[in-house]
Amino acid sequence: MSGIIDSYIPVAIFLVIAILMPPMTMFMVKKLSPRSKAASKYTTYESGSVPTGTARIQFNVEYYLYAIAFVLFDVEVLFLYPWATVYKGHGITSIALVEMFAFIFILLFGYIYLWKKGALTWVK
Amino acid sequence: MTVVIPDYIAPLIPWVRGIIGLVLIGAIFIAAMGAVWIERKLSADIQSRVGPCRVGKYGIFQLVADAIKLFTKEDIKPQNADSLLFNNANIFMIGSVFLVLVALPVGAVFINGVEYPLAVTEMDISVLYIEAVSALSIFGIFMVGYGSNSKYSLLGAFRNFARMVGYEVPLGISIISVAVMTGSLNIVDITSAQGLYWNIFLQPLGCFVFFVSLMADMGRLPFDQNESEEEIIAGWITEYSGMRFGLGFFAEYMHMVLGSFLVALLFLGGWNVPGFIANNSFLGLIAPTGFLLIKTIFVLMVIVGIRWVVPRFRIDQVVDLSWKKMFPLALLNLVWAVGLGLYLGA
Repeated sequence: MSGIIDSYIPVAIFLVIAILMPPMTMFMVKKLSPRSKAASKYTTYESGSVPTGTARIQFNVEYYLYAIAFVLFDVEVLFLYPWATVYKGHGITSIALVEMFAFIFILLFGYIYLWKKGALTWVK
Repeated sequence: MTVVIPDYIAPLIPWVRGIIGLVLIGAIFIAAMGAVWIERKLSADIQSRVGPCRVGKYGIFQLVADAIKLFTKEDIKPQNADSLLFNNANIFMIGSVFLVLVALPVGAVFINGVEYPLAVTEMDISVLYIEAVSALSIFGIFMVGYGSNSKYSLLGAFRNFARMVGYEVPLGISIISVAVMTGSLNIVDITSAQGLYWNIFLQPLGCFVFFVSLMADMGRLPFDQNESEEEIIAGWITEYSGMRFGLGFFAEYMHMVLGSFLVALLFLGGWNVPGFIANNSFLGLIAPTGFLLIKTIFVLMVIVGIRWVVPRFRIDQVVDLSWKKMFPLALLNLVWAVGLGLYLGA
């Protein structure tokens, strides 16, 4: 058990560095860079015209469909990971194969359904 | 001959490895600078230009000059930008790179015929871990795009999201196809198993799917719809300027370097070359890491070269490519890999 935790101690060290590095870089930039104030400098770029309205609009529903499809198939991929390590050489090869192909087969029905429904087609 | 480690030192080893491993962070920064230089010079060659040539011999210090410029630029946050998202996005981009770096073996040494991979840490599940943390950078890109309150940024972020979710799935499946051959999720095991047959020859389709998905994941041309300059100015980095942009840009190139390492390790045999047996002690120390680096640089140059060969796809073409072509191909390759694995294993 300690072996598993041991292999993640370097991860923790790197995580701390990763969290500290960008703020430290920006602190250095703050010390080094010049400052000037002008109101128009802080406007967002909109091809030269004065920005109108907010940019925080609602998502198009098709992104939601892609997200749902992604969650479905990514979970499928996650189930495949443990299966990939055990299907061979543990005496369960045939049953593991049948089970996994049944699993993929069922998901393929969902995939074909999504395709035929047009959920995977980009709407203009 | 084995070195006996006393009991009171053993718990400290992961800490020591982690702290020594921080050297790799410096190395990856230098590697990313090298990648930028290779990209500029190769692009210039392809377009019959000279490329950077003023700062240092052959312009190798061009990026140092750029870094000085970025460090002395004012940090501008647009009005109405979401400070929390805008300021902390870099942590996700840089963090994703650093966390991949922890588990990635960057070489190997052979001492008396025994293989010791040069990695900061070894995990049982390193390919799963690498795929998980490398996907973190999408959060950084979306935080910038949504946080900067600019329409162009938001469009870039949306496109990035639509593209990334499509290519994560084929990427995952092609990684599993590789893991299936070895029956292990440890990237060191996967690489060591390719002593004679590299995975690119065993499953060329898988290599193709992995490479295309990786290009899309890294946002390299022809898959850079999130910042396509001709349509949406600069996409998600429209309002991201100065050193903030610099860090994001660097993270992108570091991703490219790490992606090349992944291709070399998973499909090109890593530090193995058929026929090379590390019995000579000095060669065993140097050569395997050298082979890996040569392969990585080769992959890197292919990635850079493709930029000038294929024009950028439209976003709907990209999404179609992932869901309607890459996903079925990845599944097909998985079936092939399972069959081949059973045939070779029996």
